[in-house]
Amino acid sequence: MSSTTDTRIQPGSTVLWDKGDAAGHDILGTRTFGFWLYMLTDAMVYAAFFAAFGVLAHNAGLNSKSVLAAVFNAQGAYRETIALFASVLAYGYAMVALKKGSRSGVAVGTVVALVLGLVFLGMVSGDMERLFGQGIVPQSNGFLSIVFTLIIYHALHIIVGAIWMLVMLAQMGRDGFTSNVVYRLINLRIFWHFQAVIWVFIFVFVYLQGKVI
Amino acid sequence: MSKRGIKGAIKALCAPLLLMLNGCSKSGLYLLEPEGTISRVTHHYFNLDVGIMLLIIIPTALLSVWAMWRYRKGGGGSYRPDWSHSWFIEAVVWGIPLITVGVLSYLSVKAIYKVNPYNPGALAHQEAAAGKPLEVDVIVTDWRWLFIYPGQRIASVNHLVLPVGVPVHFRLTSTSVVNDFIIPQLVGMIDVIPGMRTKQTLEASKTGHYVGFSADYSGAGLSWMNFETQTVTKAKFAQWVKKTQAAPHNMTDAAFNLFAKPYISIDHRPMVFGHVQSGLFDYVVHEVMSGKVWPTPTAMTENMVKYMNKQQANVKAGDY
Amino acid sequence: MFVHLQGPWNPVWGRLSLQAIPYHNPILVGTFLFAVVIALAAVGAVLYFRAGPYLWREWLTTVDHKKIGVMYCLLGLVMLFRGFADALMIRTQQAIAVGPHSPGYLGALHGYLTPFHIGQVYTAHGLIMVVFAATPLLVGIMNIIVPLQIGARDMAYPYLNALGFWLTAAAAGLVMLSLFVGNFAHGGWYGFLPYFELPYSPGVGVDYWMWAFQLSAVGTTLGSINLIATIVKMRAPGMTWMRMPIFTWASLSTNLIALTSFPVLMVSLALLGLDRYFGTHFYTAGNGGNLMLYNDLFWVWGHPEVYFLILPAFGMMSEIIPTFSEKTLFGYTTMVVASFAIGGVSWGVWLHHFFTMAAEPSVNSFYSVTTMLVGIPTGVKVFNWIFTMYRGRVRFELPMMWAVLALFLLLVGGMSGMMNAFAANDYMWHNGVFVVAHFHMMVLLIAASIFGAVEYWFPKIFGFKLEQRWGKWFFWFMVLGTAWVFVPMFILGFTGMTRRLDYVPYTQWAPYLRVMLVGMAFYVIALVFFFAHLYVSLRDRVKNRVGADPWGTSRNLEWMTHSPVPAYNFAYIPHVHARDEWAWRKENGVASLANESFEDIHMPRNTGVPVLLGALSFVLCFGLIWRIWWLSAASLALVVLVIIVRSFARNTDEVITAKTVAGVEGAVDDALPSAARG
Ligand code: HEM
Ligand SMILES: [Cu+2]
Repeated sequence: MSSTTDTRIQPGSTVLWDKGDAAGHDILGTRTFGFWLYMLTDAMVYAAFFAAFGVLAHNAGLNSKSVLAAVFNAQGAYRETIALFASVLAYGYAMVALKKGSRSGVAVGTVVALVLGLVFLGMVSGDMERLFGQGIVPQSNGFLSIVFTLIIYHALHIIVGAIWMLVMLAQMGRDGFTSNVVYRLINLRIFWHFQAVIWVFIFVFVYLQGKVI
Repeated sequence: MSKRGIKGAIKALCAPLLLMLNGCSKSGLYLLEPEGTISRVTHHYFNLDVGIMLLIIIPTALLSVWAMWRYRKGGGGSYRPDWSHSWFIEAVVWGIPLITVGVLSYLSVKAIYKVNPYNPGALAHQEAAAGKPLEVDVIVTDWRWLFIYPGQRIASVNHLVLPVGVPVHFRLTSTSVVNDFIIPQLVGMIDVIPGMRTKQTLEASKTGHYVGFSADYSGAGLSWMNFETQTVTKAKFAQWVKKTQAAPHNMTDAAFNLFAKPYISIDHRPMVFGHVQSGLFDYVVHEVMSGKVWPTPTAMTENMVKYMNKQQANVKAGDY
Repeated sequence: MFVHLQGPWNPVWGRLSLQAIPYHNPILVGTFLFAVVIALAAVGAVLYFRAGPYLWREWLTTVDHKKIGVMYCLLGLVMLFRGFADALMIRTQQAIAVGPHSPGYLGALHGYLTPFHIGQVYTAHGLIMVVFAATPLLVGIMNIIVPLQIGARDMAYPYLNALGFWLTAAAAGLVMLSLFVGNFAHGGWYGFLPYFELPYSPGVGVDYWMWAFQLSAVGTTLGSINLIATIVKMRAPGMTWMRMPIFTWASLSTNLIALTSFPVLMVSLALLGLDRYFGTHFYTAGNGGNLMLYNDLFWVWGHPEVYFLILPAFGMMSEIIPTFSEKTLFGYTTMVVASFAIGGVSWGVWLHHFFTMAAEPSVNSFYSVTTMLVGIPTGVKVFNWIFTMYRGRVRFELPMMWAVLALFLLLVGGMSGMMNAFAANDYMWHNGVFVVAHFHMMVLLIAASIFGAVEYWFPKIFGFKLEQRWGKWFFWFMVLGTAWVFVPMFILGFTGMTRRLDYVPYTQWAPYLRVMLVGMAFYVIALVFFFAHLYVSLRDRVKNRVGADPWGTSRNLEWMTHSPVPAYNFAYIPHVHARDEWAWRKENGVASLANESFEDIHMPRNTGVPVLLGALSFVLCFGLIWRIWWLSAASLALVVLVIIVRSFARNTDEVITAKTVAGVEGAVDDALPSAARG
């Protein structure tokens, strides 16, 4: 027998094959695990963006003080933060309702989260418009390129999340809490919370730190 | 097939062996024939590094051949199908690479400081003895080398002249893309980066002619971007400087803007400038940093031959 | 909003015009005709045999991990041929275009390829071999073998699996298309900044390169998520971590590398895209850009990537060597630790790809040392393979021959890698052909392991063994070709010859370059033998049919089911008791396959959505490359729509009834007398 392998055979009592449908493995667990892995790749994307930010921030000095002040409007960003956090909180309530199996609870939470997400988007795009109007654009120099890219890339996630919420509302309405709907709701929570976490990084490293550059 | 063809074919078939023997006789293997202080130090470490590794790799190769032969099916080796662990062997197989890598790392770090392009340890004591080093500013365009001797206020294109026994300090920058400066027998590679300044240091020990290259890919003209490096005695060098200073062309910032237009050096036209505007190097670095580019026309890469004809016409018209 | 371009553009066709078709280049016209003939023959054959519906039903829409794996391998093989054709062109060009008096043909000053053309050729060669040949082949084999080795019926996400494949295929399609519509990047497979910026590369070549690369990166990332989740979540009962087959371990570590590193590649390419499309300044030399940022981001992926390629190859060697030494793998735990050590260290070494960038000596020292550290676990692996053969009974059948070749190539490649890691020496030959020779040793090692693995696992998937005679000729000519091409290349490295020359200025290099051409001739002969090998194997497929355990001394779960493996892999999920479960069962006399009363099996149902998404992504990228904005916008909208619609689908599973299972198992049993049970 193989030296490092363990079990000795016990004639009669050793189970060799698993009767029963093993395909019925833990679906929810597998799906959410995979989504965590996906989130990890997204985290790596953000990490690379932040690394680029760290490098290009050395050239922030190419911008005049007034431009920097216009870009790093911490108060505006603070309002955006509140909107996004409130949205995440609302979605958190939806998840509490999901535990209780309350369809209406999930629906209300999701709708509120969706609306607040759109508010966040509106504020961000307003901000962009204001800056573009002043001629402050990503094409100006490397530092502004990365700042805008980070913010817009995050906003794209919020758009995706918003579409996802709409889809979930429809699927919940049609199917109720089937396993497909439930794992998607759970994954959406992971996704949505993650965007808030990333926003914290953007707020701290871009807006607040940008103020001191 | 002609007789020569057959002979050639036979030669080609046995070639790897011949080439290896040829390799041992060291003809034309620039990296193994160092003629500068820095390259000699590199070569010394190369020998150490390769020697130590061969000490491990050759026995390993022999061991594996032996194991395959001794334990081939039907051979005389004992058969122990379950044998899969031995603390002793594990310790050895981790230990040997560990120790080797330790030694090599030590040597590597030491070598890095010895040949550090910015401040090579290998030249530290010579520097003091040899007195003032020679300064050379190198500007790479697409696809030519401009060597500026700021102390002498002269410049030379695609032709580098250096005195023997004097440390040479290079500052390097590029107008367009990244290049890589190397003179295999004198010194290793250093990147030449647009909008930045890198440095290199060398000291030639013999008079002679050497080849220099650009090693990093820079576009259509890369293959022709080699430059001749000539090392001469100090006296000869002084003569050369004098002669060059008498040359008529003048390299100013404005002239440089024309010069930096893409040009493929197929004709290897050497050129000298008897006078160079001071601060040209810094001017170029600054221009590129603020976004100046000398773009490559699509035609140049996509249809080089046509472009060459145009270039030839422009040269005649005195456009470069 | 978009950046201003040098050439013409219009809203309907973007930059696309008839001039994009290279009809004036005889080489490309020839290639095009060849491709047309092949395509017509393929389509004709499909129509003639009325195979269309069969192909669609059984292959294109499949979610079966084995079939997807086979398609990955076929894709890899096709691209391997394309990459090889590129290699032939590079080697002939460099053998002709030596010295100022060398002749020029077809509009080239020297040789027969213009700088622009040969630049595309070696860029495509590098990208194809790494991303579209080696990667699909390895991913394909992992796809097939890992679920079998862990006793699962499929991957964790079969649908995602198909999607990953079709994205990769779409990306490969883009590279192929660039031959006939427009052109490809011409600077080198890993991209040069700022050379790849618009002022220096104004054409569509870089865009083809960028989008093909990007798309394949998405595909590979999805694949890695799937394999990791499969290994973590789908192992058969009783298969603890330390009972997992070593190839599965290798797959796990390699996919962890892919999962974490590919996103960085995507960012490095995306920022270049922003520069090229929107005129931002990430990598420009001026305006506050930083071109070194690209090198860092790219190689933060690039180095882990090379270990992503080699770890599965190591895993294959670790499966083949014990089987053909008729013995357990020596030092299993050590092998696992070494795999993860390699994976971990590979993250901290990327700067060795630009030692010459004038970093502080302390920085270069750090990366020199970390790079050398990789040599430790690699060395340990070599020793462990040797000690696996020690006290074994080594049989030199084809898979083993390839594994042994891989081992020797590893010695050469590892040594030259360690020489590169010695930064002070690397200054002499970085960007030279010594480096090229180094990584070709490594990549050929991977190729050798793949060939070995295909020989080894082929009977499992297709139910018959490949013949051995032509296979051996193929093997030996590959060895000859390798020696004749790469010994001279190492020597040329010491002469200081640099990479990517379209014209070779020094005639003293000529003899070496000609000898390399002889090596290429050996490779061509090897290719002929390869086809003979394939042809004879297919011809004799009935004669060469085999049972569950064709090699007799295999050790893992994949040999515990029929060959070819049924759609559901295992009629029952096996219970695992030991590290080498199949070997354990054979020793204990319980080595029979499941054959009692059968049950219904739930399997995912085929779907055409992944093919559709692959096709749409292809169009999306095509539109982006040619800046046909409406086309890209439309296909992007469709992609989103298709994903949403698909998410509403309810019945994505189907049932294979107990009766069907019994039928399949019975049929297999009839065909295979008990002798074939190992
Ligand atoms: C012992 C392990 C290894 C060491 C120490 C090592 C070291 C190095 C170093 C230092 C370089 C940079 C050389 C230069 O550009 O100047 C390099 C390049 C490279 N290595 Fe390795 N390597 C190892 C294993 C591998 C493996 C396993 C692979 C592939 C599967 C590989 C593929 C490559 C490639 C593709 C390049 C060059 C890429 C390019 O410039 O196009 N190496 N290696
Ligand atoms: Cu590397």
